[in-house]
Amino acid sequence: MIKQLYENIKGNYDEAITRMRDDERIKKYLNFFLMDESYKQLESALDSKNCEEAFKAAHTLKGVSQNMAFTDFAESVVNITEELRAGNLEEALKIFPEVSEKYKFLIDEINKVM
Amino acid sequence: MEKERNTLLIADDVLINREMLKDIFEDEYDILEASNGQEAIKILDEKKDEIVLLFLDLIMPEKTGLDVMVHMSLHGMMETIPVIMITGEATVESDVRAYELGASDIIYKPFEPAVVIRRAKNIIELFRHRISIEKELALKTEQLRENQKKLEQSNDFLINALSSVVEFRSLESGEHVQRVKKFTKILLKYWQALYPEYGFTDAQIELMTNASALHDIGKIAIPDSILMKPGKLTDEEYAEMKKHTIYGCQLLENFKQEENEFYRYCYDICRYHHERANGKGYPDGLVEDEIPVWAQVVSIVDVYDALVSKRVYKDSFSIDDAIKMIHNGECGIFSQKLLECFDAARDELIANTDKPE
Repeated sequence: MIKQLYENIKGNYDEAITRMRDDERIKKYLNFFLMDESYKQLESALDSKNCEEAFKAAHTLKGVSQNMAFTDFAESVVNITEELRAGNLEEALKIFPEVSEKYKFLIDEINKVM
Repeated sequence: MEKERNTLLIADDVLINREMLKDIFEDEYDILEASNGQEAIKILDEKKDEIVLLFLDLIMPEKTGLDVMVHMSLHGMMETIPVIMITGEATVESDVRAYELGASDIIYKPFEPAVVIRRAKNIIELFRHRISIEKELALKTEQLRENQKKLEQSNDFLINALSSVVEFRSLESGEHVQRVKKFTKILLKYWQALYPEYGFTDAQIELMTNASALHDIGKIAIPDSILMKPGKLTDEEYAEMKKHTIYGCQLLENFKQEENEFYRYCYDICRYHHERANGKGYPDGLVEDEIPVWAQVVSIVDVYDALVSKRVYKDSFSIDDAIKMIHNGECGIFSQKLLECFDAARDELIANTDKPE
């Protein structure tokens, strides 16, 4: 079930298992991921054009999604994080719809297994 | 008793990151968590003696990871609590800064549990080792000081025991030696004050004082018939008695220690404490400054104590009479400097002299 989830979202299940050890634990972390606020923070910081806050939020989201081994999603987050780190708000805003789309898909998929 | 250190502090604002580290370590360690820098600082201040390792995220709200490390440096925690930085990526600047501030290691997200465990354990062991070595060192230093003190005490004991051997044989109590030591020290203190050009240090005076206890050690080789004779000695007997200065040196030479200050004081005092400034003393007939100061001091002290004490062959003199006799040259001629020193110390000597019965 969890393995299927990782396939659907183009994540790395093997990596997730070495880090979190078993499906039960992965589920626990999936739950934490659902509660994590960094995506919302990123969204609102971009809305108010606060590059610094947006960077912090993106940075956190990056760490979290990498730790969860959400490989495909993490890649998009890395991209936006680097743009924000460099202060390129415009570029970041261009990438954000892709991040947003992937995030929503991810949340939907996760909710299916919970 | 200090509480056993076995607590990890995980400071990261992201719950998932904290939980992952907690999962890895909670079987073996007590875990404390901080979700921002300010909280981390508070926990560190309260529990610094229990924490074996800090996992520290760089970017956190309130205070950053760097702020936390600055606080730790300011409060001397970096020596006892290793810090592993957790960071999303390697940027040269933040890595360099983290190491500059004393981070022991940096791990990058996403975590590899096996690597994180290995590194954490190595660092914890390293610090445990370091802390225990430092504690041991502090303990050793303390012991060393105690040993030194004990050594000094046993040295004193040995010197006193050794120097009283002769007196014990002549049925005296060993008090003469103790008094000679006491008076020698007083006179040397005055010498030090009156004649700073000699540069006597307190430590040297201590050694000279101890050495003075051995001034008559050569008497061990004098036969009972002479040593304990109640009446006046014949010329031959007196000639033999004088040899106690030489015998003392011969005894000491068996244990000669080149370059040893204490040996030199002992030797000089044994040999020259019957020399007189005008060359009329024995055994070598030295004059004035040829006689080492420490031997001169013992010579006058020895005479003074002999005069004010009762001996098998004589009654005691009053303190005033004794001082007069020393000045008149009735017990041989002492150097001017020594007499001046003796006069300067007079009140203190008298205060430390038991009144003759």
